[in-house]
Amino acid sequence: MKVNIDKTLVASIALHVLVLGWGLVTFSSKAYIAPEESLPVDIISSDQLAKMMAGQKTGKKEEPKPKVEKIAEAKPEEDAVGKVTEKKELIKTNSTPEPPPKPVEKPVEKKPEPPKPVTEAKPKEEPKPQEKKPDPAKEDPIAELQKKLDTKKPPPKPVEQKVAAVQPQQQPKPKERTFDPAQIQRDLDKRATTRHELTGSALNASASLGAATGTAVANVATWRGAFQGAVKRCFTPTYNGQDADQYEADIDIPMKIDGSLAAEPIVVAVRGPSRSIAQAVAESAKRAIVQCQVYSFMPKQQYESWKLIPMTFGLKDML
Amino acid sequence: MNRRRFMTLTGSTLAMLGGGHAFAQGQPRLRIDPTEFQPVPIAITNFVPGSPSDGDVGNGVTQVITNNLKRSGLFAPIDQAAFIERISNIDVAPQFQNWKTINAQALVTGRMTRQPDGRLKAEFRLWDVVSGQQLAGQQYFTSPEYWRRIAHIISDQIYERMTGEKGYFDSRVVFVDETGPKERRVKRLAIMDQDGANVRYLTRGSDLVLTPRFSPNSQEITYMEFGQGDPKVYLYNIETGQREIVGNFPGMTFAPRFSPDGQRVIMSLQQGGNSNLFVMDLRSRSTTRLTDTPAIDTSPSYSPDGTRICFESDRGGRSQIYVMAAGGGAAQRISFSKDDTNATYSTPVWSPRGDYIAFTRQGGGQFSIGVMKPDGSGERLLTSGFHNEGPTFSPNGRVLMFFRDPGGNGGPSLYSVDISGRNELKVPTPGFASDPAWSPLLSSTSG
Repeated sequence: MKVNIDKTLVASIALHVLVLGWGLVTFSSKAYIAPEESLPVDIISSDQLAKMMAGQKTGKKEEPKPKVEKIAEAKPEEDAVGKVTEKKELIKTNSTPEPPPKPVEKPVEKKPEPPKPVTEAKPKEEPKPQEKKPDPAKEDPIAELQKKLDTKKPPPKPVEQKVAAVQPQQQPKPKERTFDPAQIQRDLDKRATTRHELTGSALNASASLGAATGTAVANVATWRGAFQGAVKRCFTPTYNGQDADQYEADIDIPMKIDGSLAAEPIVVAVRGPSRSIAQAVAESAKRAIVQCQVYSFMPKQQYESWKLIPMTFGLKDML
Repeated sequence: MNRRRFMTLTGSTLAMLGGGHAFAQGQPRLRIDPTEFQPVPIAITNFVPGSPSDGDVGNGVTQVITNNLKRSGLFAPIDQAAFIERISNIDVAPQFQNWKTINAQALVTGRMTRQPDGRLKAEFRLWDVVSGQQLAGQQYFTSPEYWRRIAHIISDQIYERMTGEKGYFDSRVVFVDETGPKERRVKRLAIMDQDGANVRYLTRGSDLVLTPRFSPNSQEITYMEFGQGDPKVYLYNIETGQREIVGNFPGMTFAPRFSPDGQRVIMSLQQGGNSNLFVMDLRSRSTTRLTDTPAIDTSPSYSPDGTRICFESDRGGRSQIYVMAAGGGAAQRISFSKDDTNATYSTPVWSPRGDYIAFTRQGGGQFSIGVMKPDGSGERLLTSGFHNEGPTFSPNGRVLMFFRDPGGNGGPSLYSVDISGRNELKVPTPGFASDPAWSPLLSSTSG
C-alpha cells in the first residue's frame, strides 16, 4: 500500500548519523594526542625525581608534612622495597575472607584530620562524597578503581586495612597459590594504591606536595626544565670576562606546536656594562635557540602555555 | 547535578581557561646561566687563492687566523679534515647544512688575490652558520710582506663581531730577550707580534736593558739601560732606531712608563737609600716630583684616563700597592692579603679598560700573578709558581702576559693567561724572555 515516509524524520536520522559520525572521528583523534604528555625522563635530575616521588602532584602546596597514613612500627619503609612488601600483603588480604579490623589502625585513622586536608588538597577534582573515606583512594584514580572492584567494601577503611596487613602478615603468602584472574587484576590495581601508604612518626592522611622543602610543584611544568636544558646545551656565550654576571639578554621565542620556531627569536632587552658585549651575548643566545630546535618534546596539549616563551640568558655563573 | 554545583563547575572551568591564558601572557621568564665556559666552534676555511701563486699566502693567512682564535680560548677552530664542503668561491653563500653537520656556529671564508700593481687584496666573510647570515665582510689591500698583519686584523674583526669586545691580535710585544749561560746572560731588547712571530732585536746586548714599555702610539719604547755610570731611562724610536736619555738626573732612574696621552713619562728616581716618583713632560722636559717619602716608591702606572697612578711602595714596612692622584698627594694602600699577612705586592699595572690592576704577589714561597679592582677589592690570583712576575695587559684588557722563571739553570719564558685565570699558554720566543710589555692595538693607533 502506500507507505507514508516522513521526510523530516529521515532528515533528522541522517543528521544524527552525521553528527555522531563526526563526533566519533573527532573524539578518536583527540584521544590520540593525549599520550604525548610525558616528557623525556633523562631531563629530570635524580634529586628532582626523588622530591617529586615524595608527594603527589595534586597535593596541597602548603602541607608541610609528607603524607602518612600509619605510624611506623619498626622500620620506616618509604622506599620501593617497602612498597613491594605492602603489595604482597594486600593480595593475601583480598584473597582471604577479610582480616579483622585492626585495632591499632582504626583509632589512628579516626583521629587525624584526614577529611579536611583531603578536601583542601583537591577541591576541584572531587566533591564531598569521598571526603568521608580515606584520602588515598581519592588521590589516586587507580586506587579508586581498585576499591570498586573490591565489592566487599568493608565499611571502615579498606585501604587502611591493607596497611595494617602489611607488616604483620608476611608469612601466610605462600599458602595461597590458587589461580584467580580477578585476583591478578586486583593485584595489578593495588600496586598503585600501595605506593601511597607511607609510615611515619605522625599521622597525616592528606597528600602533601612532596617533601616540606620539595619542588614537586615546579616539576609539574616539566616542559620548562626540558626546554631550559635543551637550549643550555647549545648556549656558548663568547664572554667570560670581568663583570660577566652583569650581562643579560631577554629574548622572546615564538614557537610552533611541533616544537620548531614560529619566527626568529626576538631580543627584547640586553643589559650589561658594555652594550656591544651584551649584544654579542644576545646573539649567542639566539644561535643557541635556533641551533637546538626542533623541541619536539614540548607537550602539544599545553601549547598555549609555550606558544611564546620568554627567556633570560645570563652569565652569572661564568666566573 | 544540581544547578548550583553545575554553576560552580562551569565557573571553575572558565576560571581555569582564563587563568591559562593569563599564564601564557604573563608567564615568568625562563633563565639560563651556563656554569661552564665553552669555546665557540668555528670553521675557518683556507683562503681561496686569486691565482695559483697566491695559494701559500692564502693558507698562511688561514693558519694565522686559526692560531689567533684558538689561543684566545674563546673559539674552538674545527679541524679542516672534518669539513664536508670545500669553498671555491666566497661570493656564493655556503651550504650551511654542511657546516651545521660538523657543529660549526660560525664560518670564515676568504680570498687572497695579487693585484696588477703588486699589492695583495685580502677579502673575508664571517657567516653565522645557524641563521645563515653574514656577520661581517671586509677587504684589505696591503704589501705582500704584511700578509700576517692582515691576518691579525681579520682575526680582530672576527673576534670583535663574535664577542662584542675589541680584539688584541694586531698588536706587538716588546720584551727582554735573554741568551747565553746564566752567569753571563746577554739581554737584548726585542719586539715581536703578539703571537711570537716577526721577532726583531732593538739593541745589541752590550748593555743590560730592563722594563721596556710602549708609548700609546706604539712608535716609541721607554726602558732602563745600564750603560756607563748610573742606569738611565731611555726613549727608543722603533721606526728610526734613535734613542735618547729621559732627563738628566744625578741618580739612577728606572721603572719608566708613558702617560696615556703619551706626553709624559713617569718613573722612579733614586735619592740616597730612597726612591721617589717623578713625571717628566716630554715636550718641555720639565719634571715634577710626585712623592717625597723615606721609602722606595716605584713601578708607577697610570689609570687609562690619566687621573690616577698606582705604584708600589714599602712605606708601610713591606712592599704594597698604593693609589694616588696623578698629580701626587695622599696615597691609599689597596693591597691587603687576607691569607698571608707577610705577602708583598709589586709591579702593579692598570688595565687599559680601567677595571683592574694586575700585580705580582710574593708570599708563601711563591710568586703569583693576580688582579684586583682599583679599590683593592676582588683580588684574584691567576697563576702561582716558583717565579712569576711582570704582568702586562693585552690592548683589550682581557689577557695578561708575564714571565715565568722555573729556576735552576734554565731561564724565563713568556706566558699569557686570561684574566679569569683560564687558558694559560706559553708564548713562543726564540730564547729566554722576560719583562714583556704589550702594545696598544696597532690598527687603532696607526689610522
